[in-house]
Amino acid sequence: MKRYLWLLAGALACGGGSGDSTGPGPPAGQFRVLAGGNNVANRYSSDLWVHGSYAYTGTWGGVFRGGNAGNVLNIWSLGAAGAPALVDSIVVDGIGTVSDVQVSEDGKVLVFGAERGAAAGLLVYDLTDPRRPMFLDSATVETGIHTTTIGEIAGRRYVFAARNPADPALLIYDITDPGSLNLVASVPIPPDYGIHDTYVRDGLAFVFAWNTGVIIFDVGNGIGSGSPASPVEVGRLVTADDAAGDGPSAHNGWWFHNPVTGEKRYLFVGQEGPGVIGTRSSGDIHVVDVSDLGNPREVAFFHLDGAGTHNFWMDESRQILYAAYYNGGVVALDVSGTLSGDLSSRLIARLTPGGAGNTYMWGVQLAGGSLYATDMVSGLWQIEAVTR
Amino acid sequence: MVRAEAWRRLRLVSMLNLEGTTIPGGELALGNRGEGFVDRRHPHTYMHELILSADDLLGASDGSARLSISAGKGFAPFGTDDPMIRPFLRFPVNHHLSQILERAVAIAAVRTQPVAVELGVFNGDEPERPGEWPRIGGRFGDSWAGRVTVYPARGVELQGSHADVHSPEHRPGAGTDQGKWSLSARWSRPIGGQPVYGMVEWSRTSEARGFFVFHSLLAEGAWSRGRHRLQYRFERTERPEEERISNFRSLRPHLENSILGTTRWTVHTAGYEVDLLQTGRFRLRPLLELSYGQIRSVGGGLFDVETLYGHDHVWSMSVGLRVGAGMPMHRMGRYGSMDEADMSHHHDMGVE
Repeated sequence: MKRYLWLLAGALACGGGSGDSTGPGPPAGQFRVLAGGNNVANRYSSDLWVHGSYAYTGTWGGVFRGGNAGNVLNIWSLGAAGAPALVDSIVVDGIGTVSDVQVSEDGKVLVFGAERGAAAGLLVYDLTDPRRPMFLDSATVETGIHTTTIGEIAGRRYVFAARNPADPALLIYDITDPGSLNLVASVPIPPDYGIHDTYVRDGLAFVFAWNTGVIIFDVGNGIGSGSPASPVEVGRLVTADDAAGDGPSAHNGWWFHNPVTGEKRYLFVGQEGPGVIGTRSSGDIHVVDVSDLGNPREVAFFHLDGAGTHNFWMDESRQILYAAYYNGGVVALDVSGTLSGDLSSRLIARLTPGGAGNTYMWGVQLAGGSLYATDMVSGLWQIEAVTR
Repeated sequence: MVRAEAWRRLRLVSMLNLEGTTIPGGELALGNRGEGFVDRRHPHTYMHELILSADDLLGASDGSARLSISAGKGFAPFGTDDPMIRPFLRFPVNHHLSQILERAVAIAAVRTQPVAVELGVFNGDEPERPGEWPRIGGRFGDSWAGRVTVYPARGVELQGSHADVHSPEHRPGAGTDQGKWSLSARWSRPIGGQPVYGMVEWSRTSEARGFFVFHSLLAEGAWSRGRHRLQYRFERTERPEEERISNFRSLRPHLENSILGTTRWTVHTAGYEVDLLQTGRFRLRPLLELSYGQIRSVGGGLFDVETLYGHDHVWSMSVGLRVGAGMPMHRMGRYGSMDEADMSHHHDMGVE
């Protein structure tokens, strides 16, 4: 899934960074559940986004729960201490899964991708009243949109959307006028399971394209004369496939801008290996050195036995990577300093908030000093973030 | 079906299959899965077999042995006989664990009296529609299979085979690979003057470097007396449960490599057939089959048997009429020196 930051994560987190630019400090810290959990019993949950005092979570309908498809966006009010309370839901006819959710940085617009159904595609809502999103516009995509990522480029707002196979593509919509979506580019992606997610930052779009690996496009950075309407590939890399069955399965990522060192060196790539949804998963975190965007190279990895990674968030000022890890729960990694080889010693903390058999974590987001985590089985959790 | 022979050593075998016309949406079949269908047997491709074989290439110089080379579209040398040439109307759950079919194949085979060895290469991808042909460009040769068959006595076969299949469920080739094993023992000879057929097989498919493993154990038999035939099959087979896009179709092409769970199907099938009419090569055989299957989830996952089926067991009854005419069916999947042109001596197997 997407995750981009226009402001340093430090604005969201409390405390300062370690300042260690030469090597990791000793792993420390632990997670603690603050609130939430077991609060979406009628559907399986999917992605989340937190903005201000509200959170929005999607639902997944790969198989029905309680007879219900994943056609709902849940709206949560975060109390004074950040505890989530479900306050409303939007039911969308003609879809079976809300696959990805994001709110614009200014909090005015909510977008989500939808799969499985005649109305699958990209949907845009107005957040003038954040408790009651109002539908603005949509773009129907027959095979569905797997992820949506908002990017602000040259004063305009875009959504980078991942169109599912059989004809996978990176679709770029101009949503500067959110009531009138405008498709400005469609970039075919090889059908080796196609495109899964995009990370947009500094005018670069990192496309995570399963067994094709990672493709880097200039969409306004300037290094390749690309634009949102005319993306230009500037680099690509096929990440390793050593951990999970058959292929690199590049799924998601985060380009780390380290405020401590000033480096923009590392791209973290999530590998989504085979899984039995709800029980077992596989896939590593791969670390790619993108100092030379035209020649990216893999330098490190993190492997967790018996579980595989999914979506990321970063506390950049603290140099901590948070990763949803399906049945492995939530993982915090120390990513300070130079990253090389096996990062297993960088594990700071791990938590399965729902317990065994009740944890299959989809995504995480750091907001208001807490880590919010959405679990397919056990719903939305508020977790105390790691400090070290 | 067409058979043509030339210069004693060249043989062309072809088999048309019109299921794409008669059952384009598949056939409701207990526990069946494959080629994007689930709980329905898929229609096979129109050109089911088209194989050219050069048999006994070395003539008498290799004694009684027969070396052959075959190429075309057909079965890879793996596993047991196709269910279509076995006694039962209903396909077993394990069809795609125990046979590899509808591929572009090149097979070398050596057969002697006590043992035969086959080695073949083929394209790993399965067809997705009846009108499709195997993908040769970029796929042919990406998979291989080998089978050893031992003949300890007349009418008795012991078989062991292995196959490495690249991306069978994703035609462009990005899917997970399978490693397959099959062991079987087969009896096809009379007892007490009455035709008797029996087969026991075990198969195992490991996928995604062992992340998924599916097993099957099957035993079946048929006993004929006069015009009547009784048959029984026991099967215990595991299958993956995938996301469905409708009641009977799985999502294709895939988006990722996760499944919802694994189910284990334990199925008992009993059947009866009778020769109503047999004149020359024309034959009419009414049949009745009754199946009872129990379904269990194994290994976790979100898939829930009772939510989908409403029960943990399924009944199935089939009433039909076999119509046979013309030349006898050959033993599908056995080519060149392995070819058995006339299955009429296996009439107890009910091939029409």
